[in-house]
Amino acid sequence: MSTRRPASVVSLRPTPRILLAGLVGGAATASGIALTATSGWLIVRASEMPVILTLLVAVVAVRAFGIARPVLRYAERLLSHDEALADLARRRSQMYAALVPLTPARLGRRSRSSLLGGVVDEITDVVDAHVRVTVPVVSGVVAGVLAAVLAALIEPAAGGVIALLLLAVAAASVVAYLLERSAQSELLSARARVQQVSDLVARSGLELQAIGAEADAHAWLADAHGTWRAAVRRQARGRSLAAAMILLATGVATAGTAWIAWREVSSGPVAALLVVLPVALGDGLAPLAEAMRALARTEGAQARVSALLDQVPAVAEAGDRIPEAVPEPTTDRLTASWRGDHPDMPDVTLTIEPGAALALTGPNGAGKSTLLAVLARHLDPMRGTYALSGTSVRDLDLAATRARFAVVDDEPHVFASTLRENLRFAGPDADDEDLTTALVRAGLGDLLDSLPDGLDTRLGSGARGLSGGERARLAIARAVVSQRPILLLDEPVAHLDHATAVAVLHDLRSAARERTLVMVSHRPDGLADFDAVIEVMDNGDISTTVCRRAACTDESDEIRQAEEAP
Amino acid sequence: MRPFDLRLLRLVPATRGPVGALGVVGILQGIATIALAFALTGVVVAVVDGTELRGPLILLVALFAVRATLAYAAEAIQAWVGVRVASALRERLVAHLLLTPIDRRPDPERTGTLAAQGCSAVEPYAARYLPSLVHAAVVPALAIVAMLVVDWSSALIVILTVPLLPVFAALIGHTTADDTGRRWQALSALAGHFADVMRGLPTLVAYGRGERQVETIEQVSDRHRRATMRTLRLAFMSSAALELLASISVAIVAVWCGIRLAKGNMELTPALLAILLAPEAYWPIRRVGAEFHTAADGAEAIEAVADLLAADASPLPALSTGDRGADERRDALVHIAADGLGYTYPGAEEPVLENVSLQAEPGLTVVTGPSGVGKSTLLELLGGLRTPTTGTLTAGRAHLVSQRPFVAAASVRDNLRLGNGAADEALWEALRRVGLDGTVAAMPQSLDTLLGDDGFGLSAGQRARLVLARALLSSAPVLLLDEPTAHLDAASSATIHDLIADLAERRTVVAVTHRTELLVAADRHHHLEPREVRS
Repeated sequence: MSTRRPASVVSLRPTPRILLAGLVGGAATASGIALTATSGWLIVRASEMPVILTLLVAVVAVRAFGIARPVLRYAERLLSHDEALADLARRRSQMYAALVPLTPARLGRRSRSSLLGGVVDEITDVVDAHVRVTVPVVSGVVAGVLAAVLAALIEPAAGGVIALLLLAVAAASVVAYLLERSAQSELLSARARVQQVSDLVARSGLELQAIGAEADAHAWLADAHGTWRAAVRRQARGRSLAAAMILLATGVATAGTAWIAWREVSSGPVAALLVVLPVALGDGLAPLAEAMRALARTEGAQARVSALLDQVPAVAEAGDRIPEAVPEPTTDRLTASWRGDHPDMPDVTLTIEPGAALALTGPNGAGKSTLLAVLARHLDPMRGTYALSGTSVRDLDLAATRARFAVVDDEPHVFASTLRENLRFAGPDADDEDLTTALVRAGLGDLLDSLPDGLDTRLGSGARGLSGGERARLAIARAVVSQRPILLLDEPVAHLDHATAVAVLHDLRSAARERTLVMVSHRPDGLADFDAVIEVMDNGDISTTVCRRAACTDESDEIRQAEEAP
Repeated sequence: MRPFDLRLLRLVPATRGPVGALGVVGILQGIATIALAFALTGVVVAVVDGTELRGPLILLVALFAVRATLAYAAEAIQAWVGVRVASALRERLVAHLLLTPIDRRPDPERTGTLAAQGCSAVEPYAARYLPSLVHAAVVPALAIVAMLVVDWSSALIVILTVPLLPVFAALIGHTTADDTGRRWQALSALAGHFADVMRGLPTLVAYGRGERQVETIEQVSDRHRRATMRTLRLAFMSSAALELLASISVAIVAVWCGIRLAKGNMELTPALLAILLAPEAYWPIRRVGAEFHTAADGAEAIEAVADLLAADASPLPALSTGDRGADERRDALVHIAADGLGYTYPGAEEPVLENVSLQAEPGLTVVTGPSGVGKSTLLELLGGLRTPTTGTLTAGRAHLVSQRPFVAAASVRDNLRLGNGAADEALWEALRRVGLDGTVAAMPQSLDTLLGDDGFGLSAGQRARLVLARALLSSAPVLLLDEPTAHLDAASSATIHDLIADLAERRTVVAVTHRTELLVAADRHHHLEPREVRS
């Protein structure tokens, strides 16, 4: 499993195809400027009533520039957008891949809808920079330099004026960028909040109605919108200022070249060309104001994605040894922490023989789920050791170790797919018969029989919903399908009535006959079948060995809660 | 796709002002643009003729300054309008969704996408596309009028060719409409796919399938890229075609002026004006075409929201917002009387509940029955969240604590105050009664501590107690509790059972449970049999 983050997820470095698009865009912008300039020349030259033939070259040039501009612009857009979308596809999957090692322990308080509305939008913004920043900036530089060179060839002073115009536009762009950037983080969080709230409110209508919180939800949304509006208004100042400054600079530059042409240039058509050149250039450079907004947006987005992805996984890379097919988990004074500051579970010294069934009970928050996360290798130990059949987990291959454990948490996800696909991802080799058997064993036989399309029935949002009990049983069926030797279950039967819970656990025990079982439960229901029941207490350290079918001595099977310090 | 869906202004009145503001700025900018063409012509003529330049130059710079000021205002106003229209539309949509019972509400996945991404797409629609539409309506008209004054024959060329642009654009738009529709669906599916994969990430990682999805995401994104590029290619092609058409038309004007100039039949000033004004008749229309692709998603979203709002125009049930009188009448109603209640899920063939009759008054009514018998659905019916398919029901305003109750990614305080707006003292009192006051007081920021989407940081049991505290704070005369102690250990359960019994002294409490302890305290007991047994 890879824990390194590909730097390219948030990199702003333009690809060669994007630079090419920028050059093509520059040629398009230059064509537009040349079109205006040659038209001005042509009209003034015509007014001097020359032989028509002398106008022909200019007529051809006007036509060529008139055709070149749309054609080049079309090519630039196709190139840049195709590259940007391809890049987006790459980065989305890279970002997802980078999130995998951070899951689940490092997704922390960042809610899922905000992960979607925020991070996915942000990676889109980063990629957008190709089309919205790189291409216009490269185009502007290319066209601006060409215009300045042309003006300088005609009259050096006019070239100087154009160069000053370019400097003024550059300065306006920088000011716009700084203003936009200063409001950026505010705008981004406001936007993420709007997405998060609207997604939440739109999807949780039933839950909100249930508690009579419609007015609160609406107030949240109005509040998020208010913040968003203020941020957008503040940020628009940068763009507004740049647009105004570019126009003002264009006006002054036009006056400048007009003055120079009036004093220094004797040819009327050339003088006209010099007068309209800055106007055409100003038009061509106007998109830079918008580009600066995009740049500021990109940098903010880049920072936020980096902050998420730069976290250290909760589980460090381990060795490369492969654990035994049916390993025996042992821990010695093991404890762990989610945030790294204080232990979230008591010291646990535990041996679970293969095939044994252990139930963890105790009050909420005592650390039952933390222990389960450590056993599953979702969380590194803070202190103490954890070994599988005598080999420390730090020497064992992480993916191979995790593949020994099937985890059933208390809120299993139902994917928007068929029932078959909802099971098969846990065990890709399973055939329909295996899946059906697993469903029956998890107590979903009746449900399967009632489904018109059987295993092909679509589940998840927008399709058939599952009750809490059905969802839990689906998760157990997945664990059965996975054929992993150790099953870790976190409150799997919390939502089931007594009879069903007992039946499910019984089925589970028989389905998992050869498997090791560790189950967190606060209920005594159906635990009679278990080899040991350990009560996890806040400060009560645990030391025990769990044997299969009480094969070891009574004494070691006893639960000791060492009140004294070890 | 319509250029502008007028239903937006009718269904969402808050958008009228902003759209009007765009119109005013657009007209002023148009006038300034035309005036600038005159000033520039004056400067060119003065330079070519070598006449007095100071006056024309001052006018030119002054007009650039006016345009700069207008550009500043326009950018600011456009940004404001974008947000204003997008948020007004979203607020209207969400208000509609919140007042519609679940069985009449469209698929939450679709409406979620529509409210979040769809309405956001309206921002560029209103901030960029609408102004371009205003320009297209104003600037060409002004340019043509000005040309008619200075050189009517050039104006005629423009008048004859300009209509080709919208006709052309409409033709192209017509052929791309289907594709845009497909793209919106693809986008929706992609967003759905992403949301699904992201939410399921912990489950996928647990089975070592996290990495595997990487490829799928890339494939789905790539499908999206191809679908998008198909649409974009058409959009860019249409934009290029329109530009070419405009270029040719301007070239005709230029040649026509050039011929007359060369023959001495025309002055320089009107000729220059004609070639400077002619492009102004075309580019605003072209820009509409260019903005088409940024606007398409927003326009689709506006149509989708308008369809949704228009489709369900039936009077909205007074749930709890606004209508104080209705709230008071429902508050006066403290009992529940259900007779022959039946419910069939939309689209399902078999009813989930059939012929359920139940009476409840202040006191504790316990509902039991095997898993999957429809206990949760019954509570949702009693709470008015679903409309019974058969039977009659009268019930007071209810607060329902479901099995997966709503805990927002917000502070403890905000979560507790949902639906009641209580003061801090009341919050602490409620927390004390559910035995959570110590836990909250020990949190880093006490009541201000933020909870995750599903209450990260709280154990399932603490979450269950938190939502019970919220139920305590609710003023609703009827409390509906779905497995209130499913997540609690024995000691906590006992506290909560005492609390429920206490609550039932004054309110009508209906609790679904499998625990026998609660049955002991019940005033009434209703057992739901599986349907096969009942029938």
